[in-house]
Amino acid sequence: MRYYHLNNLNQHTGISRRRFLKDGMLVPLALAVAGGSISTLFLRRADARGFYLRPPGAVEETRFLAACVKCGKCAQACPYGSIKMAGGEAGIGIGTPHIVTREVPCHLCPDIPCAKTCPSGALDRKLNDIEKIRMGTAVIIDRENCLSLRGLRCEVCYRQCPLIDKAITIEPRHNTRTGVHSIMEPVIHADKCVGCGICENACVRDKPVIRVLAAIPGQKDYYEF
Amino acid sequence: MGLSRREFLKATAAAAAFAAAGTALLKPEVSEAAEDGIKWGKAPCRFCGTGCGVLVGVKNGKIVATKGDPAAPVNRGLNCIKGYFLSKILYGKDRLTTPLIRKGNKMVEASWDEAMTLIASKFKDAIATHGPDSVAMYGSGQWTVFEGYAASKLFKGGIGTNNIEPNARLCMASAVTGFMTTFASDEPMGCYDDLDLGDTYFLWGANMAECHPVLFSRLIDNRLKNPRVKIIDFGTRRTRTSQMADTYIKFNPQTDLALLNAIAHVIVEEKLYDDKFIKNHVVFKKGKTNIGYGLEDKFKFADDPKPMTFDEYREFLKTYTPEYAAKLSGVPAATIVEMARLYADKSRKVNSLWTMGFNQHSRGTWVNNLVYNVHLLTGKICKPGENPMSLTGQPSACGTAREVGTFTHRLPADMVVTNPEHRAKAEKIWGIPAGTIPAKPTYNATEMFRALDRGDIKVVWIQVTNPFQSLPNLNRYRKGARKGDGRFVVVSDMYPTKSTEVADVILPSASWVEKEGVFGNAERRTQQWYKQVDPPGQAKNDLWQTIELAKRLGHGNLFPYKYVEKEMWEEYRKFNEGQGKDLAPYEAYTKARGLRWPVINGRETLYRYAEGHDPYVKAGEGIKFYKNKNDGGKAVIWARPYEPAAEAPDKSYPFWLCTGRVLEHWHTGTMTGRVPELKRAYPSAVCEMHPDDAKRLGIKNLQKVKISSRRGTIILPVELNGRGKAEKGNVFVAFFDETKLINELCIDAYCPISGEPDYKKCAVKVEKA
Amino acid sequence: MSFKWWPIRRAVQLSIIALIASPLFELNLFNGNLAAGELLGIKLADPLAFLQATLASHLFIASFLGAALIVTAVYLASGGRTFCGWVCPMYLLSEISEKLRRRLGTGERTYSLNGTRWALAMTIILSILTGIPVFEILSPLGVSSRAIMFNGRLPLLLVGAILVVEVCVARRIWCRSLCPVGGFYTLLGQISPIRVSFSRERCTDCGECLRVCPVEEVLTPSLADNMPQITSGDCTRCGDCIDICPAKALGVGVWYTHSVQSKEVSP
Repeated sequence: MRYYHLNNLNQHTGISRRRFLKDGMLVPLALAVAGGSISTLFLRRADARGFYLRPPGAVEETRFLAACVKCGKCAQACPYGSIKMAGGEAGIGIGTPHIVTREVPCHLCPDIPCAKTCPSGALDRKLNDIEKIRMGTAVIIDRENCLSLRGLRCEVCYRQCPLIDKAITIEPRHNTRTGVHSIMEPVIHADKCVGCGICENACVRDKPVIRVLAAIPGQKDYYEF
Repeated sequence: MGLSRREFLKATAAAAAFAAAGTALLKPEVSEAAEDGIKWGKAPCRFCGTGCGVLVGVKNGKIVATKGDPAAPVNRGLNCIKGYFLSKILYGKDRLTTPLIRKGNKMVEASWDEAMTLIASKFKDAIATHGPDSVAMYGSGQWTVFEGYAASKLFKGGIGTNNIEPNARLCMASAVTGFMTTFASDEPMGCYDDLDLGDTYFLWGANMAECHPVLFSRLIDNRLKNPRVKIIDFGTRRTRTSQMADTYIKFNPQTDLALLNAIAHVIVEEKLYDDKFIKNHVVFKKGKTNIGYGLEDKFKFADDPKPMTFDEYREFLKTYTPEYAAKLSGVPAATIVEMARLYADKSRKVNSLWTMGFNQHSRGTWVNNLVYNVHLLTGKICKPGENPMSLTGQPSACGTAREVGTFTHRLPADMVVTNPEHRAKAEKIWGIPAGTIPAKPTYNATEMFRALDRGDIKVVWIQVTNPFQSLPNLNRYRKGARKGDGRFVVVSDMYPTKSTEVADVILPSASWVEKEGVFGNAERRTQQWYKQVDPPGQAKNDLWQTIELAKRLGHGNLFPYKYVEKEMWEEYRKFNEGQGKDLAPYEAYTKARGLRWPVINGRETLYRYAEGHDPYVKAGEGIKFYKNKNDGGKAVIWARPYEPAAEAPDKSYPFWLCTGRVLEHWHTGTMTGRVPELKRAYPSAVCEMHPDDAKRLGIKNLQKVKISSRRGTIILPVELNGRGKAEKGNVFVAFFDETKLINELCIDAYCPISGEPDYKKCAVKVEKA
Repeated sequence: MSFKWWPIRRAVQLSIIALIASPLFELNLFNGNLAAGELLGIKLADPLAFLQATLASHLFIASFLGAALIVTAVYLASGGRTFCGWVCPMYLLSEISEKLRRRLGTGERTYSLNGTRWALAMTIILSILTGIPVFEILSPLGVSSRAIMFNGRLPLLLVGAILVVEVCVARRIWCRSLCPVGGFYTLLGQISPIRVSFSRERCTDCGECLRVCPVEEVLTPSLADNMPQITSGDCTRCGDCIDICPAKALGVGVWYTHSVQSKEVSP
């Protein structure tokens, strides 16, 4: 059979236009279209299911998705297993590295091995100061369920913060209900918070009341014309 | 019907306002209202010596919720997160539910009868062969009053041995001997109200922010309301307390002795003392010097107090110039002078607060004396808002260990076995033949486990504590327990611990609200609770276990009670009556959110030794330290020198090692480690180190380091910028982590007077792991 | 026992998988995967991944270029699609499913080998236009490497789908007609000096080589036109034809040969 097929082949390695159109372009194109329509399962926005916390040194998200070749070196470099590779639910972000802070936060290794090992610049290899990281910003999003704000002595987020007294400080105020105690409110300073998520991970509530959200760009104190 | 949660919270808030208005008791129908079928009952918190009140919610025989008790004056509905998760400590997965007997290397399930028969036989054999001093009981400042009382009665009044010690020897013994030598009576003269009423607070070696969280909250609120309030933190390590204090003063470990003497020096030299107060209320004494460190087995020390005159005391203080203390401690001389003047400032209400930095100290008794000296020189004592206050670590180190006297040398109500009158009184109340209670104390806690190691003690029963994680120089004592050759270790606990690991018999115990109990907190507040749920499986109350052994040893006659707890209480009360430590009848405690003793005619005492507050002080006396009959009702200022630590850093071991706690975990973490939320908040121990030291050794943050002392070695990640910042030349490790037994490195040197080991000072080296 | 290539090739394929898995066993030999990785400190990168990422993100990282050039040079010297035949885990999976296909006798359809170069062109164009490295998202290579390195096996359904199509519908379609990485290496293979050599004299026209070759079209110029080497870039240098030829007409050629051999026509 194959032999017969061989006898019918052209003598030259070149192919005729008809063959080109039929075998060369049409069928792969058809397959590409079919594959493409299945791939719309994959080809949605990376954050369609929520904010992805990228590893330290990540460039802006669109550029990150362009540069990341999903090699997994950053995840292998992380000594804590904080960096996970996203699955299909991440759409076009499939296979990109991200940190699920409630499970394993970033511990801010001083030599930032993850960023150093990125081959394509999706993570800035030159980053060497953990305080310059901007993965995201922590926010107390549920004040009513925050034990510290209810006057109990918690402030675990504050005490566990690797940038304690810089990214989170305590501002005490009078507890009017008891009259003789103080409410120790953890206050997050967005310009210092690196978004490591240790606070979210440590929060003792079932559903953490402090969460890392997308980093807020800084603003000036005064109004600029 | 049932209230919704929101309505309930609102109701309790209103109730708290009601309570804040001055009413001691809450309308029971509001705080103990049934909500969705939940029945609420009161109890003190299971953890630290603050003694917050909680409400426990029970549904279908199981605890479903705990919350701060709004009616409790200590905390008014607040807790720290340990208290917030109290209900969870009883429901860890590996709760002990059956007695276990060791067979070879395995622990085999047994019945209570089998276990108690075996234990009783071991006790009998040891007593018959080696005498009553070959058996021992190691109990706890977490014992209820009943458990401690029963153990003391059985061992001292039944078996006839003084081999009973609590773990409070390891935390509060120096405070006790400080009180006893200065005032001839244990426990503070002030109460928590001082935190609201004073304006100057000196914190010495106490991380209140993390270790007495609700009290610290109260202190900070005082400052928020009154900008005049100053908080000064004297410490060897920068903590969250230091962060919120007005001033943090770091000093070299052990030099607190020199600093306090220098402060006294300035007060005396600049004539800032209260001459009248000293004339009326103070005598001066000196004791032995060069008193050793308890490092040798069977170390014995007896002080030899000699009276002094004020001039002789002044002469003694001449050495302790601010410059001398500055050289030793690293605190600038000018600061020392400033602090001395602040202490003596007549316009200020000055308080001192301390915990383990002073107590877990090889000169712990001395340093307790020295802080009292400053208050006695200036007359700043026994006044509302102005007192020295020793803070307690355990929920009932005061209530049980110290007040019941579960120490080798003690009997209830400040009495001692060495005093024949005290022994006679105890024998009378206990209804036992004269001469039963031995006159000689035997071992302090450290010596007790040394005796077990040597084989002088054969049988030891450990209840409600975890010595094989918490003893210093741990390796020796863990090995000692498993040397065999007739040694028999019984451990009663609720969970498997490092102590159950070395036990021959493990008894599953009821905990907290699984039994009826009474605790006494740091401000002399005695708090009662009823049993609210059954213990799991076959776990039983430690009280039942002790009485069961008593019966099998032929001492069941000591416990002829029907309603054990109440009848025992009424018997125990007899010791305290008329002794300045009076306790109210049991009924009073079932109703109240605790009462501060002495309770006379239902009225509690906020300030001891003070006229108008303490009913023992007669009109016109002003202040009288009436318990110190030998010195005419006066307190003692002791001339105590600076002496160096047992083991200071040297070339081979160049760092000081200090150990301690964090807010999230309590002591050896056997309970808090089983609350998933607390474990998540702070999973494992780290080594705090100064960044400069780390840089010099080539260590980066979060890297693993190997810390070694002459006694042990441990590997930990290092933390250079955490909640506690070690000073240069110092490292700090918390002791809650059972996978990181830092106490293996600690030295078992102790204060010769109190017997309390120094967990804050030994020499270690640090290397990259 | 005559010398066979396939045991060596199998060993190399399995070694690659072992290298990818090596960090799991705490061996510091290899990090990353076939898109970008580091072997004993030397950075290596898939040249196509480099092109997609750089063109999409406009970030130029010199060491990334260097890593891609090293890989390009290696495959340029060793035959181009040698990557496919000797290294790619997808090829190995596809060989295994081919054995199944032959047993079932299904999926005889084939499509043109030109598809890979179309896929290459589209990948590069789409990466520039959309700013997304399109192939890296869909790459079954990436999916299978990451399944070895970490958890996250669900995307393996993609790999599974391809293998099912290969068994049931069109044999070896991924490697033959769809994979853009293959398309890239085809271009290198056309100019690489390592080629399969062909001896007209020894050839008995038995057709066994055609039967085992996944891209049998590459053999045609030699069998039909007596070309002395398999010059097509699509040849994966797998050596199966060399192993199977009973007449030892096929071998390894290490330099370019252009002269056309003539066959004596037998009477």
